[in-house]
Amino acid sequence: MSQITSLMTDDHRHCDESFARAETAVAKGKWDDASAALTQFASELEGHFDAEESLLFPKFEAATGMTEGPTKVMRGEHAEMRSALTRMRDALANKDKDDYAGEAETLLILMQQHNMKEENILYPMCDSHLSGTDVANGLSERLHARA
Amino acid sequence: MIPDGQTLSYDAAPAFSTPLRFFITAPLFGAAAGAALLAAPELLDSRWTPGALAVTHLVAVGFMLTVMLGALFQILPVVAGAVIPRSGPVATVVHLAMTIGALCLAWGLGSGSHAFLAPATVLLGGGLALFVVAAFLGLRRIPVAQATPRDLRIALLGFAVAVALGITLALALGGRLDLPLLTVLKLHIGWALLGGSGVLLAAASWVVVPMFQITPNYPAALARFWAMGTGAVLLVWSATVYGELGSAEFALSAVLAALCALFAVNTLKLQRQSRRSVPDMTTRAFEIGMGSFIAGLVCVLVAQQSEQQVWPLLAGILILHGGFVSVIVGMLYKIIPFLAWLHLTQDVGKAPNMKKLQPDSPIRRHLALHAAALAALLVAASVGNAWLIRLAGLLVVAEFAFLFANIIKVLGNYRRAHAG
Repeated sequence: MSQITSLMTDDHRHCDESFARAETAVAKGKWDDASAALTQFASELEGHFDAEESLLFPKFEAATGMTEGPTKVMRGEHAEMRSALTRMRDALANKDKDDYAGEAETLLILMQQHNMKEENILYPMCDSHLSGTDVANGLSERLHARA
Repeated sequence: MIPDGQTLSYDAAPAFSTPLRFFITAPLFGAAAGAALLAAPELLDSRWTPGALAVTHLVAVGFMLTVMLGALFQILPVVAGAVIPRSGPVATVVHLAMTIGALCLAWGLGSGSHAFLAPATVLLGGGLALFVVAAFLGLRRIPVAQATPRDLRIALLGFAVAVALGITLALALGGRLDLPLLTVLKLHIGWALLGGSGVLLAAASWVVVPMFQITPNYPAALARFWAMGTGAVLLVWSATVYGELGSAEFALSAVLAALCALFAVNTLKLQRQSRRSVPDMTTRAFEIGMGSFIAGLVCVLVAQQSEQQVWPLLAGILILHGGFVSVIVGMLYKIIPFLAWLHLTQDVGKAPNMKKLQPDSPIRRHLALHAAALAALLVAASVGNAWLIRLAGLLVVAEFAFLFANIIKVLGNYRRAHAG
């Protein structure tokens, strides 16, 4: 696996773990733990989106000239995930377990089909177009600074 | 060449009706298999009765292959970036061909009217060939570096070999070819269940299990080499079957069974390490499936060394109904509500969440009924009592009717949300 693919795929899995912690806490009715875990998940997810939207995607677009291509689609999916996250926050604020479970399940599938596209298609394209640049280092620094 | 980025777009994804038509008709074939057991319990006397052959193909082609093809129309763009050209019309033709073909095949095998086998071979052979060609056209520019896109290709080839062998068998049964039937039959089963279905399940599992059940990844060597290794052993096994090299054939069967068990055990092990502590119905369905595969593989090996008719029956029930039907049902319960959600979000801008579109409790009841049907089938096949077989048949009808009703309910929720 090449540098960008490997780094960003690992970060997807890292976000998944925070997602699962929040889901578990809600299911157990531990609302304070759930709130802390969801805040952490949201910050990791937003940090990941930000690393892509402000560094990886612009570099990819500059290298390929494709501004209406895959990065546009991925930005659109980020927006959908942000709305899903807002609905999860609302369900948590209302202490509504069922609603949270449904919204979390929806975000999980939305997020994973998005991740599949990035890991299988977009990141390998980034690796081939951005090899020899310092993009991977820049991404790594941003993701670590967030943690 | 790198695929055009537009393939990632939802716009490039097929219409809801494209995979859905496959998912709606499939449970009806499962119910038909149950009805056949209810009407003619004597068909479980041995694997060779015409009725047993018909029931096997109602499940394997009418249910399993149909759902797999429908799902492939949806997942090829997502996991491999492959866009199937003209997927709407292609899906219509493939679905019609598979559906009518499966009916002709089951009727032809069950009733002994070989006249039905000719249209069955043309429809199933033609339908699958059209799909495989369209899928390879979609995949032709996709790099083969990742495990899933590469293994999907192997599975497509496996299905093509299985159907070609099936057509050969149908021609032989119709008296048009003079062939050693048992040899071709063994090859047909091996390629259909392992080269096609087994490899496809593994290819899907490499991504589905870690991502949706939040588990560690499969061991890298397993994901990288399992499908290719299994395919290679299957080829050598085929040569020993063709050459009638009895002991070498058994040894290679054992190697194949060990490879399948390795996949099933690793899947169960990963699921135990899932970060999700909330009970997930798809995970439960996978657990039933993997447990059944392991038990079924033991029966396959015993069947090769035993003259008793019951072992191949138990192997077939465990692998088809316990193994593949379970995991397919588990995945359908994720795919259909998600597609309903996705298309609603695209069409009207908002959608009820997935658990409102498809609540957990009917899935839980359906899985319980499915497990009861599996247990009843195993007991009925072991004991051979006609009334027990009828009861098992009734449970099979009920479980597939329940699955059908659950799918229709999601569509009802989809329509209401679309209208409101």
